[in-house]
Formats: sequence, structure tokens, C-alpha cells
Amino acid sequence: MRLRLRFTWLLALALTSGAAPALAHGVTVEHRKVSSVELEARFETGEPMANAQVLVYAPGNPTDVWQEGTTNDQGRFSFTPDSSQPGSWEVMVRQAGHGVLTTIPVADSTAEGDPASTPATEAEAGSNSLISPSTTLSPVQRGITIGSVIWGFIGTALFFARGKR
Amino acid sequence: MHIPDGILPAQVCAAGYAVTGVATWYSLRQINRRPDPAAEVPKASLLTAAFFVASSIYIPVPPASVHLILNGLLGVVLGYFAFPAILIGLFFQALVIGHGGLTTLGVNATMMGVPALLAYHIFQTRNILGKMLPEPTRTGVFAFLGGSLGLGIAALIFLALIVFNIPAELNAGAEQAAVLTLSVGHIPLAIVEGVFTAMLVLFLRRVKPELLEG
Repeated sequence: MRLRLRFTWLLALALTSGAAPALAHGVTVEHRKVSSVELEARFETGEPMANAQVLVYAPGNPTDVWQEGTTNDQGRFSFTPDSSQPGSWEVMVRQAGHGVLTTIPVADSTAEGDPASTPATEAEAGSNSLISPSTTLSPVQRGITIGSVIWGFIGTALFFARGKR
Repeated sequence: MHIPDGILPAQVCAAGYAVTGVATWYSLRQINRRPDPAAEVPKASLLTAAFFVASSIYIPVPPASVHLILNGLLGVVLGYFAFPAILIGLFFQALVIGHGGLTTLGVNATMMGVPALLAYHIFQTRNILGKMLPEPTRTGVFAFLGGSLGLGIAALIFLALIVFNIPAELNAGAEQAAVLTLSVGHIPLAIVEGVFTAMLVLFLRRVKPELLEG
């Protein structure tokens, strides 16, 4: 069983806007908007990879787990990368010996410029970096490839079955 | 049941390649000792095609879904041709379908090919161990045993490989439970493949018995 990970970037949330405190009986709630990453893991059959373990590694530190968690029933998992550590974040999704290690590029949030444009380029880079060679094939191309391999086997069989004359 | 790239540590992948190398050498040597080594290549080639396609056929076994392997069947019908056939089939599966991977090709070939050779030997003992059974039943029963045990042993190797190679960062309990569930899902599959092997062997026995002599 092979997995294909589909990533949905949450673009709606802009980077660190102003903090807005709300006070009530000594409880302080502050909120600020951050950009997070949502990923969706499915088996090749289209079945969601539910309750799979997810390990997130920060850039430049491939040995220590930065965050761990599990996917939900729909195979989704989201995390908020530390925007002070730009670079390639690695995410490992694994269940019962099936798994994928994938890279998610995160841009530097402290960079100057329009914050809204940053996630868009991230999304582009994200979708490009996730395509493994076999997923770039359309179903027709895949069918032709598989058919060619099978024809190769049949041709071998016919060649050796031609008899000695 | 194919192990993809990046799941096993490098030492295990290297060991898998080493075992595959030895098993391939041994199988090819056994094949080469036959009077006509190329005689069974057509049969082997067609069954390699069947093996290649079989992993795309999924059978839902709640909560997981498993796919056909057919390694036991290849072992029973092909004998020593089964190992090279499985190796070639796995290579194309890794390249074209994306099942398994090139770094784990050796491990996967060992996991499926060695049980296939065992299945062949199980099937060959039918005339020694199965004397009390009448002839068509004897061949059928031993073909079933070969087909199902071939897959069953492969599933056990898979279970052992995953359980003993869980990275320290993972929650070992959850991963063990998940892999155990998946392995249990292979019990009905083993029965299905055993029945399938028995049907094929009985069919071959009727129409072309010399194919089973091996």
C-alpha cells in the first residue's frame, strides 16, 4: 500500500497581526493569527490514514522530534511551524509499517514585504516539492506504463515459448 | 505488505540485499542444473506478470485493506524460478506502481521470496507426507498449504521487521497495535490465496500435469 499525502495550506490566516487582549475576571485571552500547515494522509485506495502517527522535524535538526501527534479520523493533521525557523520542515506520517517522509518549505516570516503574498508562494513551493515521480503521471500514462510492463512479460514468455526449430 | 523507502534503517536494507543476493544465486544455480534451464521461462514470465498486477487488487478486510501477494502461488507453481520472478516483479512494482521502494527491494524480496521457496518445498513433500490422501485431494491440500503458508510466513516476517524496527520517537504501543491489526488482516488473505493456489494447481494437473513436475 502506498500513501499519497495531500497538503492543504491554511492560507486564510495571515502572519502575526496585532495582539488583541480580552479581559474578564482576571483571565487574559490574547489571540494572534499564525499560519499553520494542514496535511491529509491517505492510502493509495483513497482511504484516509486515520490515527497515524505524525512526527514533525524542524529544519536543521533531523534527529530531534519538534512535535508529534496523530492524524484524526479523516487522516488530517495540522501544526504550526515556528516561523522563526524558516527552511524545510520534515514531516513523517507512519502507520503499521506504511509511511512517508515529506518536506514542507516554510518561508521566513520576519522577511519584509506583504505578508499575504508569502503563504501563496509557500503553497506553490509546497505543492511542487511533494510530487514524487510516479504521481506526476496521469491515469492514462500510468495505464500505458503498466500495460507496457505486462506486455514485456508476455513478450518474454512468447519468445521463450517459440520452441526450437 | 511492501515496505516503502525510509521505514527501515540502512543496516536492515543492506542485510535484505545480502539475503536476496544469496537466494538469487542459489535459485539460479538450481535452475541452471536442469537439462533445459530456459524451458520454464514462459511460465515464470507469465506468473511474474500476474504477480506484478496482483498487488493492485485490494481486498477490504476491516479495518485495514490488504492486497493480493501471490508469493505462495508462485513458489508452488514455479519452484526455484519463483525467487527471480518475485525479485523482478517487485522491481517493476517499485518503479511503476510505487509499491515498496528501491532501497527496500532486497528486504521485500527476502520477505516474499524466501517463503515462496518454502512453499515450493511444502508442495514437494506431498508425496511423502500425504500418502494417506487420495491423489487429487493430496495435490489440492498441499497446494493450499503452500499457497497460504507462503503468504502467512511473509506476513510474519513483515510483522517482525516492523516491530523490531520501530524508531524510538514513535509511540511503540500504537505502532505495534496498528501493525498487528494489519497482519491479522492477512489471515483471510492467506486462506483466499491458498484456495486460489489449490484451484490453479488442480486445473494445471488436469490440463497440463507436466507443468507441476518441476
